Amino acid sequence: MNVEISDVTRRFGRTQAVAGVTLETGRGVFGLLGPNGAGKTTLLRMTATIIPPSSGRVRLLGRDPGGYGPRREIRRRLGYLPQSLGYYPGFTVAEFVEYFALLKEMPPGRVPQAVATAIELVDLGGRARAKLRTLSGGMLRRAGIAQAIVNEPELLLLDEPTAGLDPEQRVAFRALLRDLGERATVIVSTHLVEDIGAACGEVALMDAGKIVFQGTPDELATRGEGTGAAGDAPLERGYSAVLAAARSATAAA
Amino acid sequence: MTAATGAPVRHRTPRATSAVPLNAARLLRVELRRNAMPWILPLIAALFWFDSYRPSTGTAPLYGLRTFWNLGQGHTIIDFGPFVAGVAAWMGSRDGRRGLADLVTATARPRWAAQLATWAATAIWAVAAYLLFAGVMFAMYAHQGVGGTPPWWWVAVGATAVAAFSAAGFAIGAYWPSRFAAPVAAFIGFLAMAVSTQTGFKHTSGWALILPANASGSFDGSARTDSGMFYPWLPDLPIARIMFLAGIAIAALGLTGLSARAGGQWLRRAAAVVTLAGVAAAGTAVGLAGTARDSGHGVVIPALHDAANDVPITYTPACGRAAGVPVCLNPAYRRWLPDMTAALAPVLAEVAGLPGAPVRATQVAAAYPSGDGGPPQAITLGGDPPVLRMSLGLLNMPGPCGLCAPVATKQFADQLRLLFAHAFAGAGNGSGSPVQQAVQAALLRGAGMPFAAQPGLMAATENFPGPGPGLATGPVYAAARRLAALPVAARHAWLAAHLAALRAGRLTLEELP
Repeated sequence: MNVEISDVTRRFGRTQAVAGVTLETGRGVFGLLGPNGAGKTTLLRMTATIIPPSSGRVRLLGRDPGGYGPRREIRRRLGYLPQSLGYYPGFTVAEFVEYFALLKEMPPGRVPQAVATAIELVDLGGRARAKLRTLSGGMLRRAGIAQAIVNEPELLLLDEPTAGLDPEQRVAFRALLRDLGERATVIVSTHLVEDIGAACGEVALMDAGKIVFQGTPDELATRGEGTGAAGDAPLERGYSAVLAAARSATAAA
Repeated sequence: MTAATGAPVRHRTPRATSAVPLNAARLLRVELRRNAMPWILPLIAALFWFDSYRPSTGTAPLYGLRTFWNLGQGHTIIDFGPFVAGVAAWMGSRDGRRGLADLVTATARPRWAAQLATWAATAIWAVAAYLLFAGVMFAMYAHQGVGGTPPWWWVAVGATAVAAFSAAGFAIGAYWPSRFAAPVAAFIGFLAMAVSTQTGFKHTSGWALILPANASGSFDGSARTDSGMFYPWLPDLPIARIMFLAGIAIAALGLTGLSARAGGQWLRRAAAVVTLAGVAAAGTAVGLAGTARDSGHGVVIPALHDAANDVPITYTPACGRAAGVPVCLNPAYRRWLPDMTAALAPVLAEVAGLPGAPVRATQVAAAYPSGDGGPPQAITLGGDPPVLRMSLGLLNMPGPCGLCAPVATKQFADQLRLLFAHAFAGAGNGSGSPVQQAVQAALLRGAGMPFAAQPGLMAATENFPGPGPGLATGPVYAAARRLAALPVAARHAWLAAHLAALRAGRLTLEELP
């Protein structure tokens, strides 16, 4: 298992963002669904070793990120796209991706080719020399994805990766995700259930800091059948049904 | 977006330890290319031109004078410091301002190391610009024939100060990732310079000498214009200042490594050690500055002083003749040789052939402070055979004079003749006895200066110990008129007979012919 999360909690002051999450996943694309404030981003930030858990145990790529040495090893093998991607406006696309390749301590000799490949994969080859400040929101998102995958990560964490992408780009991105999932663990946090259905082999649904569902997209879709839950597609109905059940269970408790 | 199915299958790329320096170099290259510092350099260049270079050209073309304003009082640092601190704060706050802190933290390279690369690029731009501007300034000085040698140690102080400002500004930005970090850091930098300058006015010695923009003229101590001409520029105070400024830079950079996100525990410990080392270096430098004393040719800090720097610079003098007497100057003063010979010729002619008359005139290093309570004497006469020793560093030479009014050639010549006559009469550091004053006045009259003009000249001559402004009347001038009225041969004969007694102060006005 590349990601082993056991009974992890994370507090910010009095707010408990993640409450006792247990999750294991190996190679493949793992979808993380949930409403705003469910704790997806916090869970992803912990998995990206940016913040430590308040309690519980995390092992990533067979290592404990609590220690500095193992954490550094994990980070060399990690790709991360935050929900809100900052950027250096004066950098070109190629420089931005190269910069993060170097921060990820890739062997310098391999950086130019890796940068070119990553940029091509996100279809920004024609804008490699364009300054980031000149790019559209969707292009910036793709530049962010390029920096995440430039080091061929074994663990790729993508927070809302398709936000801002047009439908054509979204379809292409899903194909890229499927390909990446064949040799790495890819965790995708998203609001968009169609992304999950198209690219993920497994999905977890979070609400109020907890995982309220974990299974395949088909299993999630099944949960919505015959419930009358809101939604235009089976996955959406499954999503709504699971959330409604979880909330009523919480209210009853 | 392209599906990766068509792309070549790649494998994980393990990190090679040997690649770390190359990796850091490439990171630095990216940072250099996209650094904000070059954007501010045109503004700094303009400021440097108008504040550091232009005012300096109003002084005499000697390195000691030209660089007193811009390097000695630290105007080059004042021009650079606040802006460099501001831009460095902008760069230091970049990741936080741009919302990249998470992304950068999630990479393998320790955050501190990444920040150091950003700072290094910022500092490289700033220091390189400083060295370039100073280099261009010196090249222009050289083109203008400025005499002496450039104070390279003081250039090094300036470069270190620029690096220190960049480090301090960067630390402010790193800890306060806000768009206001840059203006606040720039203001703090400006405030530091203002405090440094003002403190220098009040404290001209001791610890305050460590301040990089000290306005007291701690540049070369009492050596004045002679540094780099007769003696090497002493590196003592520059070394202490470099230690102080480097200490500040190191401490500031160490501080950026103390935050929880900077790296692992060992890295943060290292940052703490670096911070303490920087503080210790700066503190030691302040202590060293407290032991500084003024020597005849610069500021000496005993613990840093190298006696080899006390050895005078050897040079081939530039020589001419005045009334048949060789007049030799330091080559840095070559441009004034015609002025000197023209000024000395009439007074040397007045005393030509007398037993106490100088056989040659030579420029010497400024003998300041005089040590006997009087003002420093620019011209002294002594030795056997008598030699006229001229400390021209104590005089304003003909031409531009910096903050004072330009010195006219005639004004300079008159002052030089007065100083010569004063020295010839043996009046020393005081105004001299009445008979010495009378002989001085008669000699000047013989050299073409009317009695009526002499009191005004004495008042206008810097450091001249004679009587202040007044009228050329009274017993002294009456005696001087009698002596001047004598035929030249008779005057010479009297001076030849009484010169020793005159210089010893044993004569009275009544004994004058």
